[in-house]
Amino acid sequence: MKLMEYEAKSVFAENGIPVPRGVVIRSPAELAAKFRDLPREFVLKAQVEVGGRGKAGGIVMADQASGERMAAELFGRTIKGVPVHEILAEEKLSITHEYYASIAIDRATKCALILFTEEGGVDIETLARERPEAVRKGALPVLMNRIPPFMERNLLGKAPREIGLVLQKLYQVFLRKDAMLAEINPLVSTPQGVFAADAKLIIDDNALKRQGITQNRDLSEREREAEKHGFSYVELSGSIGVIGNGAGLTMATLDLIGFYGGKAANFLDVGGGADQERVMHAVRLVAGVPTVKVIIVNLLGGITRCDDVARGIIEAGVRQTIIVRLAGTNEAEGKALLAEQGYRMLDSMEEAVRAAVEVAK
Amino acid sequence: MIYADRTAGIIVTGATGKQGAFHIALMNEYSRSVGGKGVVAGVTPGKGGQEMHGVPVYDSVRAALADHDASVSVIFVPGGAAGDSVMEVASAGISLAVVITEHIPVHDTMKAIAFARLNNCDVIGPNCPGMLSPGEIKLGIMPAHLFSRGPVGVISRSGTLTYEIVDELTRAGLGQSTVVGIGGDPVIGQTFSEVLSRFEEDDSTRAVVLIGEVGGSLEEEGAASTDLPLAAYIAGISAPPEKRMGHAGAIIEGGEGDARSKIERLKKMDVPVASRPSEIPALIRKLI
Repeated sequence: MKLMEYEAKSVFAENGIPVPRGVVIRSPAELAAKFRDLPREFVLKAQVEVGGRGKAGGIVMADQASGERMAAELFGRTIKGVPVHEILAEEKLSITHEYYASIAIDRATKCALILFTEEGGVDIETLARERPEAVRKGALPVLMNRIPPFMERNLLGKAPREIGLVLQKLYQVFLRKDAMLAEINPLVSTPQGVFAADAKLIIDDNALKRQGITQNRDLSEREREAEKHGFSYVELSGSIGVIGNGAGLTMATLDLIGFYGGKAANFLDVGGGADQERVMHAVRLVAGVPTVKVIIVNLLGGITRCDDVARGIIEAGVRQTIIVRLAGTNEAEGKALLAEQGYRMLDSMEEAVRAAVEVAK
Repeated sequence: MIYADRTAGIIVTGATGKQGAFHIALMNEYSRSVGGKGVVAGVTPGKGGQEMHGVPVYDSVRAALADHDASVSVIFVPGGAAGDSVMEVASAGISLAVVITEHIPVHDTMKAIAFARLNNCDVIGPNCPGMLSPGEIKLGIMPAHLFSRGPVGVISRSGTLTYEIVDELTRAGLGQSTVVGIGGDPVIGQTFSEVLSRFEEDDSTRAVVLIGEVGGSLEEEGAASTDLPLAAYIAGISAPPEKRMGHAGAIIEGGEGDARSKIERLKKMDVPVASRPSEIPALIRKLI
């Protein structure tokens, strides 16, 4: 789960990383009320979960005279389609130098990968592509509880020691918070010291419970329903509803729909143990998407009981056409049950997808 | 055949859970059919002394190893404790841990893999269906009836999609040497390149199918690391960016790891890529 900038900054501050003085406001009036010793000049930053927020008009400069009006304007805006409910108001920094620091999970080395460059304030992917030598890297097994001195020296280059301290603290945040990514871009030097001018923190979804975090994001009603049943669910925009078991098989079903010229309405992986009740809930959930004309159920498993799955489909009793591909135990029984109710059951996923695309046309 | 053969004794941890107990029975059904050693012991702390489908359960891996000879372990212990279980089997001298468990925090996975490496223990998974060498050994939850013995190696990040493609291969008369489900998480013990280096040493494997998906670049790194004849299928060409497609590792992040660019890079390395799972047998036939 990606934290908002202000949430990430509060975690950083708790762990000793200096952040600019600021407050979170939920209305323009809160600016003067909450921001004690309001600085002469400050920055208003929309707290929205979209990339490229600055370019999309989500960050504006303000001063004491214009602050409330500017905040009201920003609250009235949508940033890449996302409404602004919260604004982080922060003192303006006199930046003398910008750095970039991040720590991420690296699939290739199975380690924490630390990236640092003395040329911050830029898009790191672009810099890494165009001038890879400018981006220094250190891969660290998370068995280590701090960045070893040699690695800190190698990462820092000419950057001052106080930046090294921030790197160490960022690593502590990464470890303590089960982070997938902890990033400061830019990490800035000012006459008053170094600060994390921006902050990004993504927490591992599988560790939210032990981190005491509840998923608080704006889920749609269907996404909430899917979560309740333990389904992996992603909504798309087509007319063919998709239910599969296993992420790979479900993705492959979506891809095949595209291959035959159809458009999938969703990705729904029922996960392991596709029984009658889970299948019923899955079918009802997908059938509730207004654009869905036909539903393909593609379940393959050694131990999936096809008769149970068939009963789940029948019990769901939805209006759309359902095309079923089932492989498992009690296949004949399941097939017979479905045929009785007028559902089509096909032997291969390819046949089933082609049939579904045909119906959707 | 790689990693283990029928002579390997298996210890199942998380033996008394629903999944663990169920699959002890299926793994032993398989080992009996091929004359293998099978699951010799189960481990669940606090449940020592019980029996699961005729297999004795112990409180610890050390206690199990005092009574039984085993070199591999299959782990069904739930999320929060699975990393600990990997470290336990590794420190007890087990040389291969196959981790079926899903939803392990990724920091636990990284620690467990690093710890296992210090103890010379290989880790397959987590969040995987395990591995199966037809006629030799089944470690995990793969449905054995779809498999047949032959010259094709399979490495996959997926479970059911693997069964789909193995089924296609078997129907086409192309048997498998070893099928390894390496897992759907962002950090996994054995990656494509590590499994491929095992296949290189294996005389019974003549070509390898890579079944990949969106997220990361382990497929391309694997393909670049080997001279073995390869064919690939990559799932997720229709996956939108920044959305997790079921697997924790199946996500296009920062414009990286999308299916199209993966497929392009593989094709540049002269690896044929199937646009549908059903095309895999024909691609493999051209290679062997």
